[in-house]
Amino acid sequence: MRRRRGALLQTTFVGMLPILVVLILFVVFSVASDAFLSLRNLTAVASQASTLLLACTGATFVILMGSIDLSVGAIVLLVGAVVVTLINSFGLGISALAVGTALGTVLGFANGAIFSLGVIPSFVVTLGSLSVFTGIALELLQGRALQYNSVPFDELAIGQMVPHFPNIALFAITIWAIMVFVCFRTRFGRYMYVIGGGEAVARTSGVPVGRYKIYAFMLSGAMAGIGGTLAVARVGAAGPTLGTDLLLNTLAAIVVGGTSLSGGVGGVHRSLLGVLIITLLDDGLNLLGVNQYSQMMIKGAVVIGAVLISQDRSKLSTSK
Amino acid sequence: MAVDEILRVEALSKNFGEAIVLDNVSFGVARNSVVGIVGENGAGKTTLFNLISGIVPPDEGYIEYRGKEIRPSNYREANLLGISRVFQEQALIPNIAVYENILLSHEDHFVRLGQVLDRRKMIAVAQRIVDAMALDIDVRLQTSHYDFSIRQSIEIARACLVPREVLGIEAPVVLLDEPTSALEKSEEEALFRLIRRIRQHGSVLFVSHRLSEVLSVCDLIHVLKDGRLVATVDPAITNERTLHGHMVGRERDADYYHEHEQGEVNTHPVMFAVKNFSLANAYEAVTLDIHQGEVFGIGGLLDSGKSHLGKGMSGLVPPDTGTVQVDGGKPTRPDFRSLISQGLAYVPAERLVEGIILPFSVAVNISVASGQDLFSTWWGYWRVAVEERVARHYIQEIGIKASGPQVSCGTLSGGNQQKVVLAKWLCRSPRIIILDNPTRGIDAGAKEEVYKLIRQLTASGASIVLITDELLELIGLSHRIAVMRGGRVTGIVDAPLDKKPTERELVGLMLGTQ
Repeated sequence: MRRRRGALLQTTFVGMLPILVVLILFVVFSVASDAFLSLRNLTAVASQASTLLLACTGATFVILMGSIDLSVGAIVLLVGAVVVTLINSFGLGISALAVGTALGTVLGFANGAIFSLGVIPSFVVTLGSLSVFTGIALELLQGRALQYNSVPFDELAIGQMVPHFPNIALFAITIWAIMVFVCFRTRFGRYMYVIGGGEAVARTSGVPVGRYKIYAFMLSGAMAGIGGTLAVARVGAAGPTLGTDLLLNTLAAIVVGGTSLSGGVGGVHRSLLGVLIITLLDDGLNLLGVNQYSQMMIKGAVVIGAVLISQDRSKLSTSK
Repeated sequence: MAVDEILRVEALSKNFGEAIVLDNVSFGVARNSVVGIVGENGAGKTTLFNLISGIVPPDEGYIEYRGKEIRPSNYREANLLGISRVFQEQALIPNIAVYENILLSHEDHFVRLGQVLDRRKMIAVAQRIVDAMALDIDVRLQTSHYDFSIRQSIEIARACLVPREVLGIEAPVVLLDEPTSALEKSEEEALFRLIRRIRQHGSVLFVSHRLSEVLSVCDLIHVLKDGRLVATVDPAITNERTLHGHMVGRERDADYYHEHEQGEVNTHPVMFAVKNFSLANAYEAVTLDIHQGEVFGIGGLLDSGKSHLGKGMSGLVPPDTGTVQVDGGKPTRPDFRSLISQGLAYVPAERLVEGIILPFSVAVNISVASGQDLFSTWWGYWRVAVEERVARHYIQEIGIKASGPQVSCGTLSGGNQQKVVLAKWLCRSPRIIILDNPTRGIDAGAKEEVYKLIRQLTASGASIVLITDELLELIGLSHRIAVMRGGRVTGIVDAPLDKKPTERELVGLMLGTQ
């Protein structure tokens, strides 16, 4: 299997590096902190990683395609706010997940359609929509945290169908696995690589580039929608800071995982490693009592360092 | 070492992993001479140039320039020493003025008052450089204003004259890698005049696939084959045939274009009809009928609109007005994807931009045009096994020199890359194939294979539209030739087997002097 995917997969030492980093972080934190290896902490890590993993799973396709989606955090926030409002007004239960996914897809469609049909750089489109979505969400929340009361909805995230493995993590890892399949074994996945690797070639080969660009943003939005809904179910409320750390963390996790911002290189499978690195770092540094500001510095340095090491600079002629 | 040698390479070897690309190559370049390097793709010509111009270091051997060993660690160092180069792929930045491109990286010679660039002086020097090459160019215009061939001329002018005009280097060495593959005849002649002029001041190393050119312009020709220097010949006492023999190890087939395979097609039904095609600033009122099994050539100068017409016929860049008709069906506005599903194929001229994704594998590049049908199921599952099998098939069938379907296309030579682009369409069994300069920048052996393929395809009933700058290819392959000038078809010339038009006749039509 692995060999057959060959061309799209890196199997070099550098390609394996993120795995090594995950292992090192794991060992270092196990030794440095007694609490790290506890079941309680690992369960917490799994559920913390979930929203990030969901958001990254979708956004990776956009980055593979050579574009960028800065709005995933804002979609998480807006979907969270809408879902809580709906639960409170209409007594929605588990079906809120479907509503959240649909809303995320629509928001992603808006991004994709403006990007693809308007021929505006995705950076600009999603930077704009990031602000618009955040504004709507904060308006809805009136700047406060909104709580809700629905046990079945809670269970969606914090229930444990598998002991010690919260449902939110089960969702995230299942969807991630499906998306890895989509990435390597479907037309959609292949077109993402082709558009990212050579858009002009894709066009002269009859690939419906414009349409697939919209699909990618819809998928990114849908994943953020699921992530947002489950995040709300996990914490029991939607607050104004929901999703704010995702802007940096999604990009960091995807890039650290080994998907190149220039497009065509990497894959959804790699983003799991990136998510683990970011989450373990957050969790481990917290346990060690490193303060918030130092954590920011360390995380930033790790991201830059990871790219410095992993990027094959001999193949790069320019960087933007 | 002979005293009059300006450059000497001694025992140069270079391996890339397992592959030996250059094997113990030694030769000297005399002062004020033009030395040709010929060989098939993959023979090591480009690598040799990369070593001399400091882009990759040699594994063994050394380079001497003016009697001293040099080890440039990048192109800029080599450049400042006096070695300049025109790359196979264009290296001009499109969105800045021509003069800025010409003097790029040499701005420090034009600094006034410490920081301010003396643009007037830059423009004057750049203009002198293009004028010396007899190019009709305003260096103040944006580079993208000029088309491919003129941009190439600008690059050549830069490589040839910047060392002397700006750096004040007395005896520069200029490396020209395939400089003429996209040039018009008149520009070619200007280039040769220029090369002869540089010879008075410096030396030129010249790589080209056009052997007649090499023979007419060079003082000495080195032949590379599989990384070795297999022959050094004096152009005065050799001919194209022998040279080709050295390159491939066999003599050139007398029937290069497989002309005897050209069948009679006048009675065949019309496969592809183009009616009243017009696109503003490109072409106007073009109407053509292409028969089944026909090679329909389209010739013309670079600004004749023939490449635009190819993009229009395929529907890739649809015309403002006009219809196409496939196999007697309903006339419709051309739509690329719908035409593809009806059996149309389009091979673009700029292979590296529009034809192939270099870092991706042979298999991925072959399947890319058929993702909607051959290689995926109705629900979008990608048929990896089919993709692999098809790629394997074409590697065999048309002789793509790649060890397997997963080999990255970046490691293939130009000719093999072009075969991958062809395979991408062949796997769809196309009925109408539009080829825009299908043999640009590929070696003689690969060209011949492309010609053979064209004959096989037409024999099996496909119709081919051949847009090309190479006159001999146009004449040799086509049943009929449409000549374009200024966006209009000015004549359609019959080219039957026994009565091929001459180059002179076609050029007359292209220039409008006939």
